[in-house]
Amino acid sequence: MPAETHVEHTPLGPDEVLGLVRERLAAILEIDEDRITLDARFVEDLEADSLALIELVEELEEELGERTVGFHVDDEDLADLHTVREAVDYVVARLDGGGGATS
Amino acid sequence: MADAPCTVAVDAMGGDRAPGEIVAGALEAATTLGVRILLHGRVEELRPLLPDPLPELMTLVDTRDVIAMDDEPLAAVRKQKDSSIVVCARAVRDGAADAMVSAGNTGAVTAAAVLRMKRFRGVPSPAIAVPIPVPGHHPQVLVDAGAVVDASPERLLLYAQMGGAYARARYGLDAPTIGLLSNGEESGKGDDLRRRSYQLLHSVPGFVGNVEGSDFMHAGRADVIVTDGFTGNVALKSMEGALRSLAGVVFGVLDATPETREAATVITPRLLEAAQVYDPDLTGGAVLLGVDGVCVISHGNSSARAVVSSVQLAADCVEAGAVRRMQEAVANAR
Repeated sequence: MPAETHVEHTPLGPDEVLGLVRERLAAILEIDEDRITLDARFVEDLEADSLALIELVEELEEELGERTVGFHVDDEDLADLHTVREAVDYVVARLDGGGGATS
Repeated sequence: MADAPCTVAVDAMGGDRAPGEIVAGALEAATTLGVRILLHGRVEELRPLLPDPLPELMTLVDTRDVIAMDDEPLAAVRKQKDSSIVVCARAVRDGAADAMVSAGNTGAVTAAAVLRMKRFRGVPSPAIAVPIPVPGHHPQVLVDAGAVVDASPERLLLYAQMGGAYARARYGLDAPTIGLLSNGEESGKGDDLRRRSYQLLHSVPGFVGNVEGSDFMHAGRADVIVTDGFTGNVALKSMEGALRSLAGVVFGVLDATPETREAATVITPRLLEAAQVYDPDLTGGAVLLGVDGVCVISHGNSSARAVVSSVQLAADCVEAGAVRRMQEAVANAR
């Protein structure tokens, strides 16, 4: 068993996750963060294509993987995430224990 | 002190004829082009194909995953992070290589380049630039040959800006002419996308208006031809099919009678020499425009000669600063 995988971090809540999603998605899509509301739909409202969403997922995994060991988004789940709210809820749920060993 | 050689990451596992032809091409490139090759693939499959010791300008990089030609691109790049394609793209991102070459799954190469090298600012998705042969002349550049099926006028504007900068860097053109592919030369021709794009492209230096499919493979009308990825891919495949059909007719005639067969002994060598301009193995492959690094996509059936041409193209793009010039063209137009 790895001995040095536990790092103390303050748990991330929905507001922090939303902030992270907005920051990263705004940079990827080169749009104003104000457009990225909870109810915004990725494809219809933000014109995010599948490659852009994978870019977002990989950046979230890299950032949040430092907090939750092995944090990972299953590609199969992506098809069910249509809005920013659904994505934030999904990430928060994974951080709470469903997406890796919580540190 | 001499300049360090350009370093090109080569995907040895991608392509219909991989790894044999890719390795053979990479070896030739490492020994004849003065380019350093980082050859990526499963070492146990590559080692028997290589001399011992390796050429001075070649390094073997062991990667365990292999993305197949028919794998779903995004899923493959996500799941197979230790694949030759993904690791090649990472080598460019990290500065270990100046450029990458792959004859593998085009969608996966595109996705890996975007995810690892990143798009440059102002470009929502990359485009594929393909050289279209023009006898006795530098090739035309077709953008987009199939990276993104749908396009907006704003995207076609980006393709024109990047395509023009690429043509300057690649072929040394001072003022490349740029045409919009449509179904007639008049400004009102085309569907809604073409008509709206026509208005936007007026701001691009060198824009000559609409061009037609019959303007491909001819010098004079446009050095760069811009269209959406769907139409571009259809146009490209149509040209390939037409050339194959024409070759079949010509060689059928030459083989028709004893007299024509005798004539063929004289004519065929000249025909084959003249037809080299159409040989996809010699054009150097396609270049991904809009990512922050040089990424050359060689055709799926690449031979060793095609790999050599693609490595040369990659090195030429690095030397010419093609990526920087495209970035500047997009940034200056913003």
